Amino acid sequence: MRLFLLFFLVAIFVLLLQTTLLHLLPISPVVPDLTLVLCVYLGLYHPTVGAALGAFLLGYSIDIVSSRIIGLNAFAMSLVFLTVYLSSRAIWLQNPLVTSFVVLLASLVKGVALVLVSALFVSIEGFWIGAGWYIIKEALLAALLAPIVFALLRRGESYVNRFRAPAQ
Amino acid sequence: MLAFLRKNQVPLSACFCLLLSIYILIAAARGQLKNEPLGALLMWIMRPLQIASQGAVNWITDFRENYDTLAGFRTENERLRQRIQNLEIERQKLLEAEATNRQLKQLLDFRSHLIPPGAITATIIANSAASWFQSCQIDKGSADGVRKGMAVVTPLGVVGQVVAVTPRAAKVLLLTDPNSGIDVLVQRTRSRGIVSGSLENGIVLKYMKRSEDVQEGDRLITSGMDGVFPKGLMVGTVIKVLKQHIGLFQFVEVLPAVQTPRTENVLVVTTDGGAVKN
Repeated sequence: MRLFLLFFLVAIFVLLLQTTLLHLLPISPVVPDLTLVLCVYLGLYHPTVGAALGAFLLGYSIDIVSSRIIGLNAFAMSLVFLTVYLSSRAIWLQNPLVTSFVVLLASLVKGVALVLVSALFVSIEGFWIGAGWYIIKEALLAALLAPIVFALLRRGESYVNRFRAPAQ
Repeated sequence: MLAFLRKNQVPLSACFCLLLSIYILIAAARGQLKNEPLGALLMWIMRPLQIASQGAVNWITDFRENYDTLAGFRTENERLRQRIQNLEIERQKLLEAEATNRQLKQLLDFRSHLIPPGAITATIIANSAASWFQSCQIDKGSADGVRKGMAVVTPLGVVGQVVAVTPRAAKVLLLTDPNSGIDVLVQRTRSRGIVSGSLENGIVLKYMKRSEDVQEGDRLITSGMDGVFPKGLMVGTVIKVLKQHIGLFQFVEVLPAVQTPRTENVLVVTTDGGAVKN
């Protein structure tokens, strides 16, 4: 329950950052995708049914605050979670470089999924033009930030667990 | 069977989420997704946080701009610099109040120019959470009279269109989003076209025949034909015209009149169509 609360608050905080403060960075219009990093974290370290739903809700939240068509990001995030979950058994994740690489790949998966699903269901004319540049820039940014976000999340988790232990 | 489900509950639940999102996507694309209680709840939770956070963002932006302006004074001696910094904090507050006052006055003047008059003043409280979508949120919603489809403008020109509304907030699809489309006129030649966002080039003027006369520096204004934006609002300025050897249309890149990241207050036009007094 405490972990759920932790991730819920982190998700709200991350969403808040992405909609406001991160737009101050001189890389606009690209915004660091911290929600994706959180989704990858859930897929790697909390492979549960709740985490799968959490990934879906993360995407859905982005759809609510940003996208015109609801469901695009929900699909992409669910796909990222599934991909990360399926590949997590074969990855040794103690190295920050590996973490970054996993997030980079996850971001690429998300970007490609967004373009493909847009083309299939929404058929926005010319949406794919310039998409490659967005995918690569977003993936690199997310990979760069991943070790920091992962470290913060781990610290948050150990803090929560420290309080949970005496209660049990 | 039960053992299989238990063993694969995580991938199965992720697959379920994938199917659910496709279902939502199809429903949304067909316009069948009318009620989003989860969305309204999320926006209700986020609204006060976003207002506070955006206040901090505005403060940082203003502070940074003023800091840059004052950079020349940094070479002066330490005593004067300390004094300037103290004064700057005071000045910052006054400038903020003055800038807000000026913006609101401009909006008020502009509102009186809309025919028929009818607009709601709103403040941008958040931007898009994803790079792929160009949208923002405003602090006015259905309780204030904002409805889906209404035009959002500033005295400088078009900002976008309301695409989702909750009681106390609304989502605005910006002109720069690839989903957007606004019927425009080239002010000089009265040629018509559609301005739309593009991931690659900011905004572009679509469906402009090769034979049409469009030049760099031409101003684009709303035609009023879409029944959303009042006629005569500034949309942008042509910055690049490219005629390929083949193809029916020419490529026209446009610089938007309104730079949304620098915009704080907007007007939501509550009347359909109409025009702007000159």
